[in-house]
Amino acid sequence: MSQQEEWKDVVPIPQDDGKNPVCPIAYTDEYREMTDYFRAVMASGEVSQRALKLSGRVIDANAAHYTAWVYRKKLVLDLGVDISEELAWVAEISGRHIKNYQLWHHREALLELLLDPKQVALEPQDQRMRNPDIRRELQFIDRVIDQDSKNFHAWSHRQWVVRAYGLWDQEMAFVDTQINQDVRNNSAWNQRYFALTRNQAADAFVLTKEAADAEIAYVIDKIKLAPNNESPWSYILGLLLRHAPAMLYEDLLPSINALASDKNGALAVVSTPFYWSALVDIYEKQAEVLDAEQRDAVKGLAREACESLAEQYDPVRAKYWKYRKQELTAQ
Amino acid sequence: MSTIPPVFSYDYRYDDNECETETSTKQAEVEDSIGDIYLNYVDPSSLAQGGVIDDSKHKLLRSRHEQFIHDSIKGLSSGFAALDSSQPWFSFWCLNSLDILGCEINQQLRSRVLDRLSRLQSPSGGFCGGSGQLPHLAGSYAAILAIVLVGGEAAYQAIDRMGMYAWLMSMKRADGAFTMHLDGEVDVRGVYCVMVVASLLNIMTPELVKGSAEFIARCQTCEGGIGPYPGVEAHGGYTLCGLAALDILGKTDLLRLNRLARWMSARQLAFEGGFNGRTNKLVDGCYSYWMGGAFPILQKALRRARCEGYMYDRAALQRYVLACCQDRRTGGLRDKPGKSADLYHTMYCLLGLSLSQHYVGVEPSEQVSDTASVYSVPVRMMQWGAMPASLLVLGMRSNMVKPVHPVYSVPYTPLANFVKYFYALPPLAEQLV
Repeated sequence: MSQQEEWKDVVPIPQDDGKNPVCPIAYTDEYREMTDYFRAVMASGEVSQRALKLSGRVIDANAAHYTAWVYRKKLVLDLGVDISEELAWVAEISGRHIKNYQLWHHREALLELLLDPKQVALEPQDQRMRNPDIRRELQFIDRVIDQDSKNFHAWSHRQWVVRAYGLWDQEMAFVDTQINQDVRNNSAWNQRYFALTRNQAADAFVLTKEAADAEIAYVIDKIKLAPNNESPWSYILGLLLRHAPAMLYEDLLPSINALASDKNGALAVVSTPFYWSALVDIYEKQAEVLDAEQRDAVKGLAREACESLAEQYDPVRAKYWKYRKQELTAQ
Repeated sequence: MSTIPPVFSYDYRYDDNECETETSTKQAEVEDSIGDIYLNYVDPSSLAQGGVIDDSKHKLLRSRHEQFIHDSIKGLSSGFAALDSSQPWFSFWCLNSLDILGCEINQQLRSRVLDRLSRLQSPSGGFCGGSGQLPHLAGSYAAILAIVLVGGEAAYQAIDRMGMYAWLMSMKRADGAFTMHLDGEVDVRGVYCVMVVASLLNIMTPELVKGSAEFIARCQTCEGGIGPYPGVEAHGGYTLCGLAALDILGKTDLLRLNRLARWMSARQLAFEGGFNGRTNKLVDGCYSYWMGGAFPILQKALRRARCEGYMYDRAALQRYVLACCQDRRTGGLRDKPGKSADLYHTMYCLLGLSLSQHYVGVEPSEQVSDTASVYSVPVRMMQWGAMPASLLVLGMRSNMVKPVHPVYSVPYTPLANFVKYFYALPPLAEQLV
């Protein structure tokens, strides 16, 4: 850059490392030079096409350079950069930086500029889904999740898009596709809860009997595929404990008991710790509503399940199961 | 402590029920590589009875790790430009790892670290990730903890305490959370970094903490763990952040602790012994701290006594760290076999090792009930301590490392010195509500 006519007027600012720095990075000459010039650009507050280009180079070399992202956003605004072009640029570099925080945050800020969530919310939902900018964003997320099915940032960003633009109606279909691809993808199971509850606060969401029945049926179906899969167990227990505890023993228990006595798959079900663990949670909840005599019997069943877990099915968690057993005794 | 010898058994491997998916394929690959390692520790004569693992041979390669850290202090390769905006972390990872290992940190190194960090302090308060960059909450967190480890009044005085407070307040949002930097992202990490920094510097105020505990509680998912933001999947790293911040605030009761305990205990993997960070994800040495450090805090939140023990298998975790996470060739510790060692995993594996060797806790009868007074903050902080009666060191006796604080992740002595200095200064408010 020091040789380029374009940058002749800028005096680069070297990194202030001191005399004998700890953990100095052996930067490549290229990286050192571009960040020295970039520091100078930021220090003078320069707003220009060359500054925009330089910020892009710095970001692509070190996508965690949050200051460069912040400055780039300012440049995008001040220069009136076409937001769609900027989104395309982010998509272009994203393949190299999919574990990065800043990239997703930048996209969210850009989307808000492009499409005011408050305006979009006034449109009917099917119209929103046809909006080319929203479609493009969902396709972008799809591509990342295709490459890396549990990418934490992509799933979080998807939640942001769904929340911001109220795209609730279609979300369950996306979740289904993902769960069908990998029934163990817990990010997809988490998204199922998000979609079902429309991310309402835990105490505000009302789970109807019909919806809960449908979720139990869905989960049982997935448990049949692979009983030793923590995700569906964790999901249904979490959901019912929070929103319909009585359905644990009234509806879920008969369903899993049927699985455990089914002649084709019982062995796989009763040898997974998640089955026994579910029994502990269910019986413990059931005991709360029973009279003294029945309560003791049900608690006894729960304690037996804890013992089976500690000794046979889940010895690595023996300490935890002892604790649960102790709690069942003390209550 | 269990007296039953640990049995090496493929029965503990993940059963995919003959339904293969991406998750189970990756899981099987990791178990293969770990099984190869654990098999080396099985006494061949015991194979007929299932194979008893001989844990007496595990050795912490202290001098190799020390060398790895000193090599990093000398210089890092160009690939580390990816961490060019996380510079305070280098100092923290190195000093803390050395301290936990019990290595000497000489005066010259202390001054060099202090010089480095002072140059990263922003004139408007807070510490920056790199030269000429904006102040950042994670960078500030790492810088303050590194200064705790540097120790001494000159180091303490280098911190612009009131600048820090003003800057932290400028990162605060109406929902109780904080943005990581100007115009930055928002998540539970931010709350944790702020609570650690503010409690250490004695700059907690009702304005600073308002709504933060409630924000964290909203991040607890139906699975029981804590995610970064309401709605997002529960994750080991954010769980430690949320739980530790709530402990500082004296508000762990806002969580559904039973579900949290269930989810946390499910993170330990039966065959590997280490922790994963999310349901159906792979083991990673760094969760030895993110989860291993959360257990003592959970213990306190549930008011469980020392004699009841932690709710995870301490020996299995130590076996994973010692047998699978040490890079024997380069020194340093790592995520899992096949990965390279780095400073991040070195520190977090060592923290996990320490927290599983030493039982650290606060007995239920000693817990402070008035958590609203600012003066309770240092009392509650320094109540934590290692209880020798529950020491469990797997392998050679020389494997024992220093006890660390589960919330602040540093050894106790430098922490106590730091707190003593800053709590001799007048607080900004006496009550936090």
